[in-house]
Amino acid sequence: MESLFQTAESGALATAPKEEILSEVTSNTLHKARETVGDPFVENPRMTCREVNVYYGEKKAINNVNIDIARNEVIAMIGPSGCGKSTFLRCLNRMNDTIEGCRVTGDIRLDGMDIHDKNVDVVPLRARVGMVFQKPNPFPKSIFDNVAYGPKIHGLVQNKSELEEIVEASLKKAGLWEEAKDRLNQPGTGLSGGQQQRLCIARAIAVSPEVILMDEPCSALDPIATAKIEELIAELCEHYSIVIVTHSMQQAARVSQRTAYFHLGDLIEVGKTDRIFTNPRHQLTEDYITGRFG
Amino acid sequence: MDQPATNPTIDKMNRGLKRRYRAERRFRICGATAVFTALCFLFLLFFSIVSSGYKAFQKTSIQINVFFDPAEFTNENLATANFPGLIKASMSAMFPEVTSRSDKKDLYYLISPGASFQLINLVKDNPALIGQTQQIWVSANDDVDMLLKGNIDRTRPESERRINDKQLAWLDTLAGERKIKKTFNTTFFTRGDSREPELAGIWGATCGSFYTLLITLTLSFPIGIAAAVYLEEFAPKNRWTDIIEVNINNLAAVPSIVYGLLGLAVFINFFGMPRSTPLVGGLILTLMTLPVIIIASRASLKSVPPSIREAALGIGASKMQMVAHHVLPLALPGMLTGTIIGMARALGESAPLLMVGMVAFIVDIPQGFTDPATVLPVQIYLWSDSPERAFMEKTSAAIMVLLVFLLLMNAVAIFLRKRFEIKW
Amino acid sequence: MKKGILLASALIAGMFAGTSAQAAGRDYISIVGSSTVYPFSTVVAEQFGKTTNFKTPKIESTGTGGGFKLFCSGVGVEYPDISNASRAIKQSEYDSCQANGVKDIVEVKIGYDGIVFANSKKSAPLKLTRKDIFLALAKNVPDPKGGDKLVPNPYKTWNEIDPALPKEKIEVLGPPPTSGTRDAFVELTMEAGAKSFPFIHDMEKKEKNMFKATTQTIREDGAYIEAGENDNLIVQKLEANPHAVGIFGFSFLDQNADMIQGSLIDNESPTFENIASGKYPVSRPLFFYVKKAHADVIPGIKEYLGEFTSDKAWGNEGYLADKGMIPMDKTEREHFAEQAKDLKTLTMKQVK
Ligand SMILES: Nc1ncnc2c1ncn2[C@@H]1O[C@H](COP(=O)(O)OP(=O)(O)OP(=O)(O)O)[C@@H](O)[C@H]1O
Ligand SMILES: [Mg+2]
Repeated sequence: MESLFQTAESGALATAPKEEILSEVTSNTLHKARETVGDPFVENPRMTCREVNVYYGEKKAINNVNIDIARNEVIAMIGPSGCGKSTFLRCLNRMNDTIEGCRVTGDIRLDGMDIHDKNVDVVPLRARVGMVFQKPNPFPKSIFDNVAYGPKIHGLVQNKSELEEIVEASLKKAGLWEEAKDRLNQPGTGLSGGQQQRLCIARAIAVSPEVILMDEPCSALDPIATAKIEELIAELCEHYSIVIVTHSMQQAARVSQRTAYFHLGDLIEVGKTDRIFTNPRHQLTEDYITGRFG
Repeated sequence: MDQPATNPTIDKMNRGLKRRYRAERRFRICGATAVFTALCFLFLLFFSIVSSGYKAFQKTSIQINVFFDPAEFTNENLATANFPGLIKASMSAMFPEVTSRSDKKDLYYLISPGASFQLINLVKDNPALIGQTQQIWVSANDDVDMLLKGNIDRTRPESERRINDKQLAWLDTLAGERKIKKTFNTTFFTRGDSREPELAGIWGATCGSFYTLLITLTLSFPIGIAAAVYLEEFAPKNRWTDIIEVNINNLAAVPSIVYGLLGLAVFINFFGMPRSTPLVGGLILTLMTLPVIIIASRASLKSVPPSIREAALGIGASKMQMVAHHVLPLALPGMLTGTIIGMARALGESAPLLMVGMVAFIVDIPQGFTDPATVLPVQIYLWSDSPERAFMEKTSAAIMVLLVFLLLMNAVAIFLRKRFEIKW
Repeated sequence: MKKGILLASALIAGMFAGTSAQAAGRDYISIVGSSTVYPFSTVVAEQFGKTTNFKTPKIESTGTGGGFKLFCSGVGVEYPDISNASRAIKQSEYDSCQANGVKDIVEVKIGYDGIVFANSKKSAPLKLTRKDIFLALAKNVPDPKGGDKLVPNPYKTWNEIDPALPKEKIEVLGPPPTSGTRDAFVELTMEAGAKSFPFIHDMEKKEKNMFKATTQTIREDGAYIEAGENDNLIVQKLEANPHAVGIFGFSFLDQNADMIQGSLIDNESPTFENIASGKYPVSRPLFFYVKKAHADVIPGIKEYLGEFTSDKAWGNEGYLADKGMIPMDKTEREHFAEQAKDLKTLTMKQVK
């Protein structure tokens, strides 16, 4: 069912000219949203977002956003503070559900499956769409337990040795194994900030997600730790789709293949990263990346 | 910037600086005075209690030679033998010169009426004693005890003493023969209440408090925590939960006697539970401590940082798993502290128990939840209201026991907090 | 976690099982009532518990009124068997007993309690009359200038009432209105003292309410200080304030004879002998009431009555006298012991 639906839709998207879709989308919304320029849609996407609006109470924080997330890509979200990057990111694994008074409308699909569907359980959804937060937030437990927690609650392992394998593999992927292998039983909160962030990444990838959402993962880190995490992102995108929010345009340029620019709740422009940074099509994007504001 | 010495901002700041330091110093002095005053009062309290109560931990005994006359033990039931007679006989043997009836009465008065119970137990344990003569230390009467502890002034005129001149002389004789001694008062720690101060003990009330608090703890801890978790983590935030919250906060401030009235109406009159039992007392104290526990638990749940919740939800923990695996362990020290403070309050409570008949004279040590029982603060109240002078030191001693329990509970609270506290 | 829940539920289940077992029967006597009788009945109960194979009775100190309320609420193991009282049962209480099925009640008078007026030994003993006490404590008193008129109590010092009394501020520490001692002392001293004024005496028949208000209302200008139910506290306050006078039960005077002395009332000092002989005017009878329907159901009731009414308990030389209870004379004792033995029930006529 799902796959059928997916092919039908992606087929339609693929055949229809981009402009047509865009105008259709715009006319459907009540609020006047700015049109997204560039190419927000891709072939065979991992996730699709259509007409996404987010309200905090009466206040609208995200305004009619349409975007696709491709497979095995790193997509960067940039924009001035308060423009709704985090809010949008949290829509993708329904973390906004946990916020009192936050309402999300629109259609978000993961591999063609409507994540807001009544039959969709958020628990496996969040296992498939993992998240790494701006501030490192390891559990106040041992390093091992931090990484092992996800596999345990999702029942991914049969016995202890399997669990140990997963933990080791995840820590290795997150580039923390060398530093942590001798202190697996020490509290994760005892690590340095950068190590903690990598621990959080290891924790997220331990349940083999399909998408990893990263909200400013390096904002609290020094350049060396940042470099390590960027390396890690580059490696991870072989297996996962990664959505990363960042305030550093250099970082966006270094790690991402595509970049999306948000402005006051609108998605202004999406495109190949080098194109956005060298040849922005929208005035606002240009203003932002040239440092005129934001 | 060029001439930092004449920077006008710094000048302005310097002018205010002195005033700021003065204000700080004033505040520090006020604070220190407050703490000092509080400590003084605390010390005064402890001093007055300890100084008037420490003597209760000793008791006076008199040694007598008892001949277990076989002629007295004709009945099958050994307890029916004339034990007071045996004691009187041995006292008379010690002071053969005492002959008149009233003098004999005065002489026998020196020995506690509880001495015969002591002999009953001796004979019950070892019937072979019958026919033998034994040297036995028995409790002295409370007035003798008071005299030896210096609470009765022997220089006063005879009419103003409860020990008359003759009795004084006999006691001096006994003391000369080393037949009076003061020992550690085990009775006080092993017996139930009694109307004879020298026989009265705190153990009955301690057991009553134990059973009562056991019920309170087993009910109020799980219920309180479940309620707090539900309200804090699961309940929708709407008018109803607001009303519930306001009500819980109000309940915490309701005078405790109201809970007693409620308990009387519900548990005794409606459910027909037995009066004066730890069961009913415990239920009432449960009602009383629940709001305290709920409020403390909610506060400690609130203090768990949201980042931990997000982390758990972010890797796909269900809400229940998030609460059980991450939030509860972090909130537990706070919850335990709240619970123990609530329990300590319940331990010291007597007003609500008045309504359900726990303010009662109970001699037998309660053996379970449905035996009539009283509790420590009630025992203190009852003793403080007793006419016998010797109960005054018992009252203070019981307060000391209660304080020790309170201190222990608070120490446990601190220990648990330290033990379970998770450092970040 | 689960284990804890299981344990708790098992515990609760056990508790309720215990409840129902208890409801089936009670193997100890349950006594409620007066706090004045409490120190005496507890001694008997303890003696009874230790020398027989029955359990020690449970005695609640609820006050006389509270005791009757519980006692009269019905027949059955959940209701008390015996109610102690520092006064005779009232008509209204008797009626409520009858209404609730407590038909047969046995009244046993046990002795007397003297109410004493005492002050610290540091001052001279007082010689009071009941009239003096009325004048010192009533809210409204007859006009000192003469005439049959009531005026707000003008007396500030004792010698204003009677020049023979010391020139000290009137300061009396006494029980609060909730206490049975207060009722007794109002009735026995204030009322009697007031009646020495002819116009108040006449009032009793003509204007009953006015009479009650005059004799029972105690002044509220600070001369009478409600010192709480705890008599030990009053004794301690007297020790601290030698000018004050305290009102309490005789047993507290008996126990504290080194610190306080009883005032003479109508020339009689509050001694054991004077109270027993009835010379000392301020004394009241003490009672207990037994539910006859329980006598065969609850084990030990008859034996407890036997212990209480034995000479070694309530006799002249008995242990209750040692505790400060004033015994009745021999014929009275025999009469009530007989009544207790036969469980002779109270009739409507005997209740005032
Ligand atoms: N929990 C909330 N309740 C109400 N409004 C919120 C909440 N979270 C965010 N907002 C509002 O939504 C808008 C978008 O916020 P968001 O956190 O998504 O911005 P952001 O782009 O991530 O900014 P930054 O770069 O500073 O992190 C802001 O105006 C913010 O005030
Ligand atoms: Mg953000």
